[in-house]
Amino acid sequence: MFTESWLSVGPSLDDCIKCNICSSYCPVAAVTDLFPGPKYVGPQAQRFRENGQPHSPDHSVDYCSGCRVCNEVCPTGVKIAELNARARAQIVADQGISLRNRLLGRNELLGKVGSIAPSLANFGLHNPVSRVLADKVMGIAKEAPLPHWSRNGTFGSWIKRTGDQRLRSDRKVVYYHGCATMYYEPFIGKAAVAVLEHNGFEVIVPPQNCCGLPMLSNGEFKAARNYHEGNIQKLTGYAREGLAIVGTSTSCTLTLKEEAPELLDMHSEEANTLKMAVWDIFEWLRELYQAGELRSDFHRIDMVLPYHAPCQYRAHRVGKPAMEILMLIPGIDLRESHARCCGIAGTYGYKVEKYQIGMDVGEELFGFVREQGDAVEMTACDSETCRWQLEHGTGLPSRHPIEILAAAYGLYDLEARALVGS
Amino acid sequence: MIDLLVIGEGLSGLMAAYHAARAGLSVRVIGKGLGALHWDAGTIDLLGYLPGAHDSLRCPMKQLGLLDPAHPYHLLGEATLAAALAQFVALTAELGLPYSPAVVAGENSLLSSPLGAARPVFLAPAAQQGGDLGSSAPMVVVGFKGLRDFYPALIAENLNKLGYPARAAFLPYQLLSGRRDANTVHLAHELDAPARRAKLAAALKKLLEPGERIGLPAILGIDDHPAALVHLEQIVQAPIFEIPTLPPSVPGIRLVKSLRQHLLQLGVRVEAGMEAIGFETNGGNNIQWVETETSARPLKHRAKSYLLATGGILGGGFDSDHTGRVWEVVFDLPLTIPQQRSHWFRPQFLEATGQPVFRGGVPVNRRFQPVRPSGEPVYANLWAAGGTLAGADPIRERSLTGIAVATGFAAAQQIATSHALT
Ligand SMILES: Cc1cc2nc3c(=O)[nH]c(=O)nc-3n(C[C@H](O)[C@@H](O)[C@H](O)COP(=O)(O)OP(=O)(O)OC[C@H]3O[C@@H](n4cnc5c(N)ncnc54)[C@H](O)[C@@H]3O)c2cc1C
Ligand code: SF4
Ligand code: SF4
Ligand code: SF4
Repeated sequence: MFTESWLSVGPSLDDCIKCNICSSYCPVAAVTDLFPGPKYVGPQAQRFRENGQPHSPDHSVDYCSGCRVCNEVCPTGVKIAELNARARAQIVADQGISLRNRLLGRNELLGKVGSIAPSLANFGLHNPVSRVLADKVMGIAKEAPLPHWSRNGTFGSWIKRTGDQRLRSDRKVVYYHGCATMYYEPFIGKAAVAVLEHNGFEVIVPPQNCCGLPMLSNGEFKAARNYHEGNIQKLTGYAREGLAIVGTSTSCTLTLKEEAPELLDMHSEEANTLKMAVWDIFEWLRELYQAGELRSDFHRIDMVLPYHAPCQYRAHRVGKPAMEILMLIPGIDLRESHARCCGIAGTYGYKVEKYQIGMDVGEELFGFVREQGDAVEMTACDSETCRWQLEHGTGLPSRHPIEILAAAYGLYDLEARALVGS
Repeated sequence: MIDLLVIGEGLSGLMAAYHAARAGLSVRVIGKGLGALHWDAGTIDLLGYLPGAHDSLRCPMKQLGLLDPAHPYHLLGEATLAAALAQFVALTAELGLPYSPAVVAGENSLLSSPLGAARPVFLAPAAQQGGDLGSSAPMVVVGFKGLRDFYPALIAENLNKLGYPARAAFLPYQLLSGRRDANTVHLAHELDAPARRAKLAAALKKLLEPGERIGLPAILGIDDHPAALVHLEQIVQAPIFEIPTLPPSVPGIRLVKSLRQHLLQLGVRVEAGMEAIGFETNGGNNIQWVETETSARPLKHRAKSYLLATGGILGGGFDSDHTGRVWEVVFDLPLTIPQQRSHWFRPQFLEATGQPVFRGGVPVNRRFQPVRPSGEPVYANLWAAGGTLAGADPIRERSLTGIAVATGFAAAQQIATSHALT
């Protein structure tokens, strides 16, 4: 039985005027017949998904990648992507979930287990034999750009180890690193800490849970609820003190701000206090800049830099703050991507039946990068899975904007992906 | 701080942004979603019918005196209106999507609607001009078996009833696409490919009878549209024209796409997915910022001037409740709409003089500033354009796009003048 409240998401379907704009812009419907488009699986099929009705009329909703392009273009504000996410949750509630989707939803657990012996885990995951096995047995596409566990320890171990070198200040900010930074890309967290400290802030890294997004997008709402409750317990205290909680993963911050409360119907006073304290790191740095408090002692970086704002960034509805800040760095010739999506959409493009769809969707972005010419040495994107997909699709390295900013402050080596002097 | 924030990214907002940027102002456009051009025929309809009249107008510019004194065309004056239209024609030529007075400059021509009715149009894109019903050349309206939202037999039958010689013909859908199901936008993308067009042209040539011109659904390319039309006509050796389809509407989307690209070159960013929900004044009658909703806290947008281009009832710029109260959603401006549901409509559904609810809107002065009943501007730095304006009955008059183009131009002129003065 499906018992979520339909507050704000559900009633929005009545605003649909059937203009089909969403279906014209949906990147998935543009490349495959398996997905009839947002209008059909969203507001239209929703009429037949009454609360408590056992079966969804439309299983193709599983092919929605959750990129939210539809929400952005809909002229009347129908929350199509959320309708789709809930419909998927209903299907999972009805029919259970595959082992694969359960695993892909367990980013935090996988990260923890792999980090115990990262070289072994990397070999276990990335050798051709196990990739074929994973493809055939589990349905994880053998070509898909899976992450590598960090060989230099987790972000958490670094923070602990360097505790006495960290800046103390009465200006404090809380850092939410998320699972990818914790286990796969600790250097993103190091760059973030360096930038925040460079601007005079003491960085607090409290214990925290996975934001629960992978589970939300695989329809496992119950497990996601546990994670969000954990985060409320661990983080709301800082929010009460008036501290900002900044994150480098656009999808994590979006989940904490909006996706978890909305989809799981968690609107308690605590949940709301947390929501209002969470910022994407560049959204927050932009505020600092507008208040005239962002340091501008930038080194020149001469490069052509294609930048793709991930869809989750657009879903924050805050514009493109990372771009606004990167444009301040002398020498960077920033080229803005207007591609709709890179195609990976969290864990979507990992799945064997969706891998090619993801690559076809991503072609708009890969083509854009190619068009910028041979001078391009790297791309930039805020979301980890999108960066992996971008690297997979273009053959070029991709960096988080915070790495670029840290490099511009002279704190970070973009090639080695390490703090200068470490 | 930027000079001008345009709220709404429909035709009026985009035109105003263009003219303001050309006048040297720094401009940003925000919108909740995309505008009505996505489901509109893509023509500029200046004035098709006078209130209460059954027959369509031939020379709209000469009949402006018969409109209500509060009509936006009266506020503009004939010279400004003519200048706005001339500038639009020049702009579209520059964009490579030339619009021109369909047949005789200054006169309406009649083009077929998606259902085969004759609709009075003032400016048409090149691809629609060949469908002028003033020409006696017989038409073959070609559809594709399985293509939704385009019905050649219905169109031909209705045109025949009106006395225009037309017949229907069908081609297989597979000529357009290998997809099982695609909407008009997807099909237009398919016809961007020359090989696909050559196949279509060969099939068209076979069914053509001597002296005929060919009417096709408006799907002849999106990014390569002008070349697509020329290419087809060269092979078929007969005039070809487009008939708009039911939504989504490719001719309107072409215009939006190239306008937005042009704006980007002028340094104007257009951000979708941003809904204005509030504002702040300096305590007096100056707006200090406008707020948009985000995934958490509202985002402030500061500008010297603001333009409201949210499209009124049709665009979502007005909202109402069950009692019949209607309000303007961003600034709660005074409206001329009856505030009781029983007064919205006249007893007859198809009332020749139109329905009061559609005639109402934001009253403005000759400078296109929203005013109080006393005639005082509500805010010193606020302007309005397009479907939000009071005084017209755009659906009955067929004047929606004409008003958008002309008042977008006029408001931008007024804003530029006010900035030059300060
Ligand atoms: C803003 C807007 C909103 C709209 N909203 C709706 C809406 O909510 N509901 C709605 O139904 N329509 C709506 N329409 C109209 C819709 O787009 C129409 O095309 C049509 O009415 C769809 O009806 P349908 O579902 O029966 O047909 P579709 O789902 O469009 O399919 C019709 C099928 O029948 C085939 N067909 C056509 N003629 C024949 C024939 N003579 N013999 C055999 N097959 C034939 C077609 O090729 C097509 O495959 C809307 C239109 C607009 C502009
Ligand atoms: S864009 Fe919005 S209003 Fe239009 S069809 Fe899609 S959901 Fe409906
Ligand atoms: S979320 Fe993305 S993939 Fe899903 S329906 Fe919307 S546009 Fe399509
Ligand atoms: S994968 Fe990247 S670009 Fe695509 S949906 Fe996610 S965030 Fe967006």
